[in-house]
Amino acid sequence: MSEKHVSLSNLTLSYGKTVAVPNLDLDIVEGELIALLGPSGCGKTTTMRAIAGLLTPTSGTIEIDGRDVTRVAANKRGIGLVFQSYALFPHLSAFENVAFGLRLQKMADAEVRTRTDAGIATVGLTGFEARKPAEMSGGQQQRLALARSLVMEPKVLLLDEPLSNLDARLRLEMRTELQRVQKETGVTMVFVTHDQSEALALADRIVLMKDGKIEQLGTPSQLYAEPNTAFAAEFMGFENIFRVEGASLVSETGQLPLGFTTQSALLAWRPSGVQVGHGPFHGRVLASSFAGGHREYVLDTSLGQIKADAPIETVEVAIGETVDFDLPLSSARPLAA
Amino acid sequence: MKNLSTWIILGLTLTFLIGPFIIIIFAGASAGEALAFPPDGLSLKWYLKVFTIESFRESFLLSMFLAIFGTFVALLLGVPAAYALNRYDLPGDETIRMVVASPIIVPGIIVGLALLRYLVIPLDFTVTLALFMAHTALVLPYAVRVVSSSMNNLRADMEEAAVLLGCTRFQAFTKVVLPNIRGGVLAAFILGFVTSFNQVPVSLFLSGPGVKTLPIDMLAYMEITYDPSVAALSALLAFMSLAIVFIAERLLGFSRYV
Amino acid sequence: MFSSTREGLALALPAAIFALLLFLLPVGILLSEAFQSDTGWTLKGYTDFFAKPLNRTVFLRTLKLGVLVAGTAAIIGYAAAFSIVNLSPAARGRVFGLVVLPLMISPVARTYAWIVILGRTGIVNDTIVGLGLSETPIRLLFTETAVFLGLLQLFMPLMIISLVSAMENIPRDVIPAARVLGANWLQVFFNVILPLTKEGLVVGGTLVFTGALTAYITPAILGGSKVLMLETLLYQRVNVANDFVSASVIAMILIVMSFSANLLLKRIATART
Repeated sequence: MSEKHVSLSNLTLSYGKTVAVPNLDLDIVEGELIALLGPSGCGKTTTMRAIAGLLTPTSGTIEIDGRDVTRVAANKRGIGLVFQSYALFPHLSAFENVAFGLRLQKMADAEVRTRTDAGIATVGLTGFEARKPAEMSGGQQQRLALARSLVMEPKVLLLDEPLSNLDARLRLEMRTELQRVQKETGVTMVFVTHDQSEALALADRIVLMKDGKIEQLGTPSQLYAEPNTAFAAEFMGFENIFRVEGASLVSETGQLPLGFTTQSALLAWRPSGVQVGHGPFHGRVLASSFAGGHREYVLDTSLGQIKADAPIETVEVAIGETVDFDLPLSSARPLAA
Repeated sequence: MKNLSTWIILGLTLTFLIGPFIIIIFAGASAGEALAFPPDGLSLKWYLKVFTIESFRESFLLSMFLAIFGTFVALLLGVPAAYALNRYDLPGDETIRMVVASPIIVPGIIVGLALLRYLVIPLDFTVTLALFMAHTALVLPYAVRVVSSSMNNLRADMEEAAVLLGCTRFQAFTKVVLPNIRGGVLAAFILGFVTSFNQVPVSLFLSGPGVKTLPIDMLAYMEITYDPSVAALSALLAFMSLAIVFIAERLLGFSRYV
Repeated sequence: MFSSTREGLALALPAAIFALLLFLLPVGILLSEAFQSDTGWTLKGYTDFFAKPLNRTVFLRTLKLGVLVAGTAAIIGYAAAFSIVNLSPAARGRVFGLVVLPLMISPVARTYAWIVILGRTGIVNDTIVGLGLSETPIRLLFTETAVFLGLLQLFMPLMIISLVSAMENIPRDVIPAARVLGANWLQVFFNVILPLTKEGLVVGGTLVFTGALTAYITPAILGGSKVLMLETLLYQRVNVANDFVSASVIAMILIVMSFSANLLLKRIATART
């Protein structure tokens, strides 16, 4: 199934006179889990709110299931949104929170009950029906918010920073939860995040945004291994990016001669791609920290600071000492300007 | 250092603040004819006499009417205003806030006089209507301020969530916002009621024969005689105010909002 | 969802328009009367007003009492607030309630009690004559002292409330830290408590000062025509002499004084740092 489920065409979104998102084009496939990824201010939340109907576009169209919903009110789009703060109703019980949308549709009481109970069971909160949100933990509150949206059987489910508020363990649980729900219900999920590891773990496709525009669109492995621009590379963890001039790498601080030739304007290496211990270059260790399976070094070199990760088996180099290193071609990512 | 001096300071302060009130209660319970404390003998006769005085009954009703309906109208105007000022980014919202808060800054006596001169006399407003508007204007700043502070504690995304679940904007207001600011609205109502009921300066110029608020009536009575009935009436009114506030506190813990 | 300015204005404007038309406008016109004369705008109303010694006395007296009441309320208020803040939470709630209580009672009632206390046959005089300190009862009512006491009692709760609120925001261990560094209580007050609570002092000070300035009932009952304050003077001028120009002048003076006090106190508060 690769039907276009949500289609944004030439979408311009502004706040007053400031244009946040200029002329965006994006097609979201039915049933996919897509991430809008980027730093704050990149326009991802703005785009999400526009899809939900909370923000009216300045120009362009939004289509859902082939229907133009650009001017359709937010309460009639059939979209679900799980807010970053959950936005649960504090004066209502968990049950009534989940039943809220159903009750608005003037459904028969029995049916409301059945669907609400089912929704609560789906997120594993059976037994919590009578509790108020204030009496639940953060993780439980989020699942409640999720149930509240899911029970409406939305065509598209939007999630605003779903994992940011959670600690490491809950994050893993929630991630599994979201994937499970998605497989079971087949709902199209769009989530917004600033954390690349979240996007990599959850998404079928990632939309990397910058300044309101799409920087790169691709699968997690594409973005991880093949970022196309310096911004994308840096965002995805290539912390060492340098300009190429002739046969050398140059920076404001100095240069290093390359052992190979390349056509690209920039080359990027992940810290794990830097070879520590042997190589033609030397650097002085400025900082060193233990990270479980590897050691993270910051090296002072003629190119400036280079971040390098060494596998735990290699001999530890103390701060202040000099170590050999290499920037091999095999782990280099070529980038355009 | 702490305990003894703490209790002395507090004891003296509280005596100063509340002592007079206690005195009034007992002065009003005097069996004698003149106002005195300690009273010569205890009797409830002055408390009872208060209810028989015709003009007190009438002015009590007027004061009640102004307090209840004036506050109600003030809330009708003030709640939407507080909501809009909080949720929307309005041009000139500082100006609106100042205009709405202005009745607190202007001395009440000036308000009464101004309304008399420019609304009652030239435009032929009835005195009661002018009184009603003055009292409403007086309570309006409290209504807006108290409800605003409730709204500040309520996130906007809750309304957005309600709308996305299918509510119209108005439904979102009644189903989500109102239940959560209910305490603030009630607190504003009580604050407004008490403020209006006890108000004197505004009503000074706007009162006349037959149209007097209770405090004005009491002042007039005091000019004629110093008998304990005014003390008794004062004590009764005080009890009424306290009862209202006490009940409200029990029901809501409204000290949070003030 | 909240981007429609029109919607927002529609909700907020009725209140603003109500206040504007039925309140600010009449008051504004009244205030302008002080500037009117047959030949247009003039300050004659003001110069005439201040030319009379009685008016000058009343003006100064009102100002003086305002400052005295505010100052005294601040001193006692700090002592009381400090004590309250150091109580256990349960006791604090109850004491705070007792402090707030008088605010709910009509000013007429609260002022009236002073008649009982200060009258010829009142408590104070009974004690004085009884103890032989004086042959005849002293006249305590209709004096500036009586008005001062009445106003102080009326407005002190406002100061205490502001100060308690400000003091509760002092970070918990700051005062013990100062003590450990060697400060005595006076130093703690001036160097720690005062700077950290100055906003509360400004709010409380403004409320008490403007309240005392614009009080009517207390000066009327306890001062009568012997101790006139600006508001009782205003009432007298209008009722007795139909003198609306004086009324406007007084009104303007009151507003200007309240406003200036507010600005001045704010300036002082922000200047201390």
